[in-house]
Amino acid sequence: MSILFLGTSSGAGKTTVCAMMNRYLSRSGIDVAPFKGSNLSLNSIATKDGGEIGIGQAFQAWAAGIEPETDMNPVLLKPSGNGVIQLVLNGKPFMDLTKEKKMDHEMVMGEVKKAFDRMESKHDAILCEGSGSPVELNLMATDIANTGLMKATGVPAILVADIERGGVFAAAYGTWKLIPDELKPQLKGFIINRFRGDRTILKSGIEKIEALTGMKCLGILRYEYLRFPEEDSMSSSEGKLEGNDARSAFLANLDEMIQHAEEDGFDFGLMKKMMGL
Amino acid sequence: MDKICKKVNEEMQRGWLGPNHECPYHPAHFTGQDCSFCYCPFFPCHDTTFGWELQGRHGPVWNCSDCLFIHRTPVVRFIYSEIDRLGIKDASDPRFADIFRDAKAKFWKKGRALMVVGATSDAGKSVTVAAICRILHDRGYLVAPFKSQNMSLNSKVTRSGAEIAMIQVLQAKAAGLTNPDAHMNPILLKPKGDTVSQVMVCGKPFADYDVDGYYNEFVPGPGVEIVREHVEFLKDRYDCVVMEGAGSPAEINIYDKDIANMRAAEIADANVILVVNVEWGGSFAYALGTIELIPEKDRKRIKGIILNNVRGDPSRLRPGADELERLTGVPVIGIIPHADVVLPSEDSEALRGVHKKGAGKCLIGVVKFPRMANFTDLDPLFLEDVSTVFVERPQDLQGVDALIMPGTKNTVSDLLWLKETGLFDAIKSLWKKIPIAGICGGYQMMGRTLDDSNGIEAGKHAVYEGFGFFDNTTKFGEYDKQIIQNEGRLAVGDGGEITGYELHMGISEVNEKPLVMLDRFHADPLPEGSVREDELTFGTYQHGIFDRPAFRRYFLSFVKHDGNAIEFNETDDYDSVLEENLVKLAKVFEENLDVDKLIDIAGVRE
Repeated sequence: MSILFLGTSSGAGKTTVCAMMNRYLSRSGIDVAPFKGSNLSLNSIATKDGGEIGIGQAFQAWAAGIEPETDMNPVLLKPSGNGVIQLVLNGKPFMDLTKEKKMDHEMVMGEVKKAFDRMESKHDAILCEGSGSPVELNLMATDIANTGLMKATGVPAILVADIERGGVFAAAYGTWKLIPDELKPQLKGFIINRFRGDRTILKSGIEKIEALTGMKCLGILRYEYLRFPEEDSMSSSEGKLEGNDARSAFLANLDEMIQHAEEDGFDFGLMKKMMGL
Repeated sequence: MDKICKKVNEEMQRGWLGPNHECPYHPAHFTGQDCSFCYCPFFPCHDTTFGWELQGRHGPVWNCSDCLFIHRTPVVRFIYSEIDRLGIKDASDPRFADIFRDAKAKFWKKGRALMVVGATSDAGKSVTVAAICRILHDRGYLVAPFKSQNMSLNSKVTRSGAEIAMIQVLQAKAAGLTNPDAHMNPILLKPKGDTVSQVMVCGKPFADYDVDGYYNEFVPGPGVEIVREHVEFLKDRYDCVVMEGAGSPAEINIYDKDIANMRAAEIADANVILVVNVEWGGSFAYALGTIELIPEKDRKRIKGIILNNVRGDPSRLRPGADELERLTGVPVIGIIPHADVVLPSEDSEALRGVHKKGAGKCLIGVVKFPRMANFTDLDPLFLEDVSTVFVERPQDLQGVDALIMPGTKNTVSDLLWLKETGLFDAIKSLWKKIPIAGICGGYQMMGRTLDDSNGIEAGKHAVYEGFGFFDNTTKFGEYDKQIIQNEGRLAVGDGGEITGYELHMGISEVNEKPLVMLDRFHADPLPEGSVREDELTFGTYQHGIFDRPAFRRYFLSFVKHDGNAIEFNETDDYDSVLEENLVKLAKVFEENLDVDKLIDIAGVRE
């Protein structure tokens, strides 16, 4: 009963959309939890179980009404300069990765799978977030959070496509096309994110992408002025954050987004169906 | 005519000259031009490839001010050898017609066009065009930039008084051209309100359209013909027209209505290079998706891919690039690292998310009007020890050492916005405490009243109260726009030279000491702008006034941070800083791009 949100690029809105869906499903009484196989970020948070995870999953957990825990983000990669990356595994610093000392992909993927299974056994539904673009041709072989997770768990996926800079159809089609053929059936749908203007203009393009790929469009989310925690270096949101309590402001923002999505006819039902709920 | 004959006779006697670096007007047309025939021995050639008939006050005049043919060295050499061979002694010799015919047959051929499209906005199209312009120019080709349609609020004024996008002016500079003109950017869209845009054609207001009207009436009708006419004009005069696309060329929902991308390439018969910004990730998907979604008849024009803006080691992308080549059949001709250059930003897209810019101690607040225009006016400030912060709410004014109110596309609407947000009162309370400068729309707001009783600006017939920092009034009389390029001097401070240009609706009645004196041809200098030094208040209509050091330094001399004045380094004109950066940019591209392949794709090789 899980789903994975992939993005057409960094900053496509995966973190936010995933948080919003955590909030939406938990509000409808479903026991839901976030998960991100691997995070490349310096913004982390200490969990109550004494581990360290990316801050995005902590906020998503709060959106789901639960406490963050290390299984929500088993791999955290923290660049420490000079080409060295600290690998935090299951919430604990594990090793420094360098040019010479590479990650043991198979071992790490095994840990990720175990963490995911533990999460699934505890909750009704897991909302997973991918990392960057899933089809970086030079990195795909060692992917963890995107095609890696799809392969390891068979989880279905939804692509979050950012329209703000244009080229959204190319991004959605190109991403689908580059996903390995054996995983394509898992890629069920796409969401157009950050749209401003008259949505009817997109109709013919969406229909063409649906026809070409078999993916279904769940809806068009509008551009929101939000200030969410900075997940990676690429985000630079400049939105609003009212009040003193970041967490409640964040939740209020999510509620507003859900309301907008409902007004705009976002197909939450189809998403649940894709999840098998 | 007699005067021209006399000059040509002098040129014949003097012989070949090459570029005349001694001439105060050099280079009047392009860097490296041949100046031997400053006066053309073929004038008037009446060949419409090179010029056209203009209706002057005393009858028709042959206008060939855009012709560069006579400034190409091989042409000049040929003319001299023919003059020698035929023993021609006088400019009125009818055999010049034969020389002209032979020179045209031998040296003129229609130029080629090359188009750069981007997978997204901000893919780096503009800088790629600039870099290609410079690379080809350095190899001796005559190159012109072109963008059929631009949606931008940053424009400049050409020598002939037309408005074109700032970015094409920059690209023309990269191509070594002295006089960018409106052919290079025939259609300019200026957002006016939220849904309507003003369409400028060849620098002159054409009409206002909403989105529907633009795509369904303008594009299929006049739009296509305008693009054709101006591309052909440039192809007659240049070896290569380097065209820039707009947004993504694969917006399949509006593909048939897009004249800025593949349709323009088709009209110009151009090969196409696709630029993808690698920085945000997903670049392979964007590249493949873009190429595959373009219909096959147009897709075959795409001859190269450039992966742009790579941080870190570009070679790590090579395996992915090889795979992309295999999948698309299009070679990746360049993997370009992030170029750390100071060039103006094309459109507000690049400002997205940027709240603070620069690293200097002094903090200059810039009011970020919702319809802010010509914000590149502020770029030269970063040459000094300042940083800027965008001001959108009263609290953003905290700690600013000076305030600038830039131009806006709609003065009245943005004045109302200031009043709604509370910024109006907040700015008023800073008056006389910190230096405040207004440019164009910002300057208009500094007066006592803004009279829009014809409803030109905000649609409502009303007179609005301004800041009252100056005893000026502005009236938006009729739908008419002032477009002027200026040179002059400061009327205050050290009286240093300034340049600027005016683009505005509305005329101001000014009752203040002028800030600048503008040169006027055969007339006394014209006072412009307003200044009250003791009240730290400055205003002018001149966009680009910060470019030259005189006004920049003058204004900043009033700015104090913690009681200390700004220390000035030795900095140049913004213009020479741009030139340095264009050189740097072209170098980054040259070192990481298959230039031979590029020249093949451009199709300019003999």
